Amino acid sequence: MMYMLDCLLNFIRRVLDTIFSRRITNSLLIFVKTNTGTVVPVGLDPKWEVRDVKEFVAPKLGMTPEELMIIFAGKELQDSELLEEYNLAEQTVLHAVKSRRRSFKRKPRVSTCIEEDEEFDDTKRAAVNFYVYCTSPCANTTVGKIRVRCFKCKSGAFTVDGDPKNWNDVLKPKRITGHCEISQCTDGEVGWSEFYFKCSEHVTKGENDEAVALHLIRNNLHDIQCLACTDVRSKVFVYPCDDGHVTCLECFCEYAVSRLRERRFVFDNNIGYTLPCPVGCPNSLINQPYHFKVLSKDHFEMYERFATEEYVLKNGGVLCPQPNCGAGILVDDDCDKVSCINGCGYVFCKKCLQGYHIGECLPKEEQLIIDITGYSVDPKLVSQSKWDDASKVKIKVSTKPCPKCRTATERDGGCMHMVCTRCSFPWCWLCQTEWTRECMGSHWFS
Amino acid sequence: MAGKTPSEKRLHKELISLVKEPPPGMVVDVDQAEQNLNVWTINMQGAEGTLYDGEQFQLQFKFGTSYPFESPEVTFVGQNIPVHPHVYSNGHICLSILTDDWSPALSVQSVCLSIISMLSSCKEKKRPPDNSFYIKTCNKNPKKTKWWYHDDKV
Ligand SMILES: [Zn+2]
Ligand SMILES: [Zn+2]
Ligand SMILES: [Zn+2]
Ligand SMILES: [Zn+2]
Ligand SMILES: [Zn+2]
Ligand SMILES: [Zn+2]
Ligand SMILES: [Zn+2]
Ligand SMILES: [Zn+2]
Repeated sequence: MMYMLDCLLNFIRRVLDTIFSRRITNSLLIFVKTNTGTVVPVGLDPKWEVRDVKEFVAPKLGMTPEELMIIFAGKELQDSELLEEYNLAEQTVLHAVKSRRRSFKRKPRVSTCIEEDEEFDDTKRAAVNFYVYCTSPCANTTVGKIRVRCFKCKSGAFTVDGDPKNWNDVLKPKRITGHCEISQCTDGEVGWSEFYFKCSEHVTKGENDEAVALHLIRNNLHDIQCLACTDVRSKVFVYPCDDGHVTCLECFCEYAVSRLRERRFVFDNNIGYTLPCPVGCPNSLINQPYHFKVLSKDHFEMYERFATEEYVLKNGGVLCPQPNCGAGILVDDDCDKVSCINGCGYVFCKKCLQGYHIGECLPKEEQLIIDITGYSVDPKLVSQSKWDDASKVKIKVSTKPCPKCRTATERDGGCMHMVCTRCSFPWCWLCQTEWTRECMGSHWFS
Repeated sequence: MAGKTPSEKRLHKELISLVKEPPPGMVVDVDQAEQNLNVWTINMQGAEGTLYDGEQFQLQFKFGTSYPFESPEVTFVGQNIPVHPHVYSNGHICLSILTDDWSPALSVQSVCLSIISMLSSCKEKKRPPDNSFYIKTCNKNPKKTKWWYHDDKV
């Protein structure tokens, strides 16, 4: 009998333990930061009201709950709200400041989920996400969270006067006013908010753990079909043109890869190596190259390599002419000798891209004649016995540098009309200048 | 539609719409297209009241894996190549939407309609001025040819 009772008591104890420990596993580690810079880690229950949080935190900060104001994502948290309404992630930083009684009432809701190009629509907030590129540790396109801080001092102890209404409000600085709680920061002047993003898929590493907004990737709230494959997908890529053309993410990748293979990206001095809307709309360059991170790893590496080469050429550099190297090298203006230091080690002449030499460059044609007449035997026999040498001759005969970007271009077939595969400059094989109607008329096929 | 590439999905939908709503005087060879989605043959009838009234033509569309980000390769094939100032005797067509002005927002349907209107607006049956030059040309693929677009006053 006693044994049975013991068992029963044990059972009850275990049940109580489970209930109790569940309370503990439910707790959320939050950092409360004051405007003096003190950070207090606290375990909070998401079921708590903000009022409870204040009571719990105030003594640790040497304040009374009444004078404590808690700010998160630019909003003051209201006493009667539940913590879980804010979807706080583990290790979120809340800002605690001594309250100043203010005459105007602030809207209590937090905008962690807003979207839409024109007006951010309240009714849809719960359903939409921001996409970001998280460089570390996720190294992936993830769902992001929007945060706000003081434009001037970068403190998160900042309350906004209104919600951002569109992407411009979020991406451009000084669009939404607010109040910085750091003493004297915005005294006597307008406070400006600055929005930024955090990755929501890893535990934050602190306040500086930011992610890049991929603002052209959106949830497809209006069921717009992809202009390329005509599917209606849940996530879409919205090109920054006036028409807001849309493709699915898969077709965005197809588009980028097909342009990449042909080296038909655009190099913009402000944006970098990028693409316009596939429909060809004016002023539609993708203005955040991080969007190309959605490509596969190999294709992104290709993108980075071409982008670097393009940068090198734009800045007066050269590409190593060795086959299978092509490394970009920035060169001194007054020196013609170039070494492929980070690549194959080849040393060459900046002007003619041949092996380095002292004195004047030989014109291409003369080099050809020397190479070919250097053989005193039948070139056919040579090509049979010395394949390597023969193929070198062939390469010299059949490639000439593009007159514009100097990329070696092979001639295929009998036509004199060349189009550079890299910069798409149309040029004449004979004249080695831009292709003209005269070239077409007089020596198109000669 | 699982497992299909975006290009295949798109071509499938275009094929269905081309069968449902064919451009006037055009019939796509569905059996052939279903066997090889990347090559379509479209039989075309010269429109009534035009210089090509009563003639039969065949158009061939070839699609690359990057379609619709790359234009299709479109040529006239078969016995009868229309005599037209923008059509070479080897079947190549000088039409800017097939190269420089191509956009993924265009479709087989829109290319067909452009070709119909190109033929319908013709006032005089003749070959392009550079035809004899051109047909000896460097490339079998019209897309590899850099076109000098002829005047549009045809
Ligand atoms: Zn992350
Ligand atoms: Zn401040
Ligand atoms: Zn698509
Ligand atoms: Zn567009
Ligand atoms: Zn090298
Ligand atoms: Zn030289
Ligand atoms: Zn070039
Ligand atoms: Zn020439």
